[in-house]
Amino acid sequence: MSDKKNKNKKQKLIIVLLVLILIISTTALAVLLLRPGEEQPENKPAKGVVGTIKDDWDTDVSQDEASGEQKKGTRIPGYSSAEMKEGDTSLKLRVGNPKENTVGFIATVRLDDGTELYTSPLLKPGQGLEEIPLNKTLSKGKYDAVVYYQCVLLDGKNTPLNAAESAFTLIVN
Amino acid sequence: MKTKKIITLALAAAMACASAVSVSAAQLTETENEGKTEVKAHIDGTTPEPGDVSYIITIPDVVDFGNLTQPADSSVNSYKDVSYSVSLDEVNGLDTDKNKIAVYVRDQTAKVGSDDFVITNKADSTKSFVYDVYDVTSENISETTESINVNNMTKAIGYRFHDFTTQGDRVDGTLRLNQTQLCGYDITDIIGDYSGYMVFRSRIENA
Repeated sequence: MSDKKNKNKKQKLIIVLLVLILIISTTALAVLLLRPGEEQPENKPAKGVVGTIKDDWDTDVSQDEASGEQKKGTRIPGYSSAEMKEGDTSLKLRVGNPKENTVGFIATVRLDDGTELYTSPLLKPGQGLEEIPLNKTLSKGKYDAVVYYQCVLLDGKNTPLNAAESAFTLIVN
Repeated sequence: MKTKKIITLALAAAMACASAVSVSAAQLTETENEGKTEVKAHIDGTTPEPGDVSYIITIPDVVDFGNLTQPADSSVNSYKDVSYSVSLDEVNGLDTDKNKIAVYVRDQTAKVGSDDFVITNKADSTKSFVYDVYDVTSENISETTESINVNNMTKAIGYRFHDFTTQGDRVDGTLRLNQTQLCGYDITDIIGDYSGYMVFRSRIENA
């Protein structure tokens, strides 16, 4: 009789242990699957970090696919406006060298009065920034500004070519 | 009996956990789909955000006059023409009833009040020659055709070159250098490589 009781107790203990293991493992599995926002960095599209030059920069302006002709010359991005807040030390401005080009760019962002806000290193075709760090902060107002694109040969010496200025309105709120 | 009850309870608990995981997985998938939709909407959007690229123009990166020769007769014009193009290749969200893309051009060394586009000897910057900028092809230049730089430059941003409103608009122009400038020099004094740089400025303006 006592042996039977002991056997029953053992069975119950084993079953309770099994249930506990099952619950714990299922819960662990659920937690692993439900971890929010932990995406793999390499799968996340690069949003661009201030001052970071991307190798896969694109103008995001749709290309005329009907034209298969290889055009001569250098493609220059143009802007309408850019906005920032007073005291900001960076500006969201898509500065870069379209991948179709065969020359390098050195881009300088400056106000029309000559105040220089940013100068890039050499940007090869397909390289660019989403957001630029600023040399100085600006107070509230509307400013006439330009991105000065100095075209250079990719010859290791940055031999200058023609240049372009893309003018835009810089709004500081 | 008790053992059966315990097993039944254990199975029920396990099934409850499993179903919770399944619902959550479905929610995760739905969120992912929403994310993809947002990305698509961004790509298809036609109104650029501040700081986005609104248009793309194409400019000549280099203009090469090639070999220049000293004419024998300085009283007869001896033009060396080189063609170039400027075009509006892409445009995003421009209301052409209200806006246009104005393009200006100047020599990199130009000052207000001058009219020069120059090429300068790379070894000796005191030696330079001027050229004219036309916004038509060389075949369309006549005696009466005025170059863009016929008058002195009045604005530091340059000479008004062209107003673009339609994607694909293109101006085929000519740079013209009169080689009679080379007359009067001892050729050994002016031999060498020459270079000059043009600056094309673009901005969105009211139509």
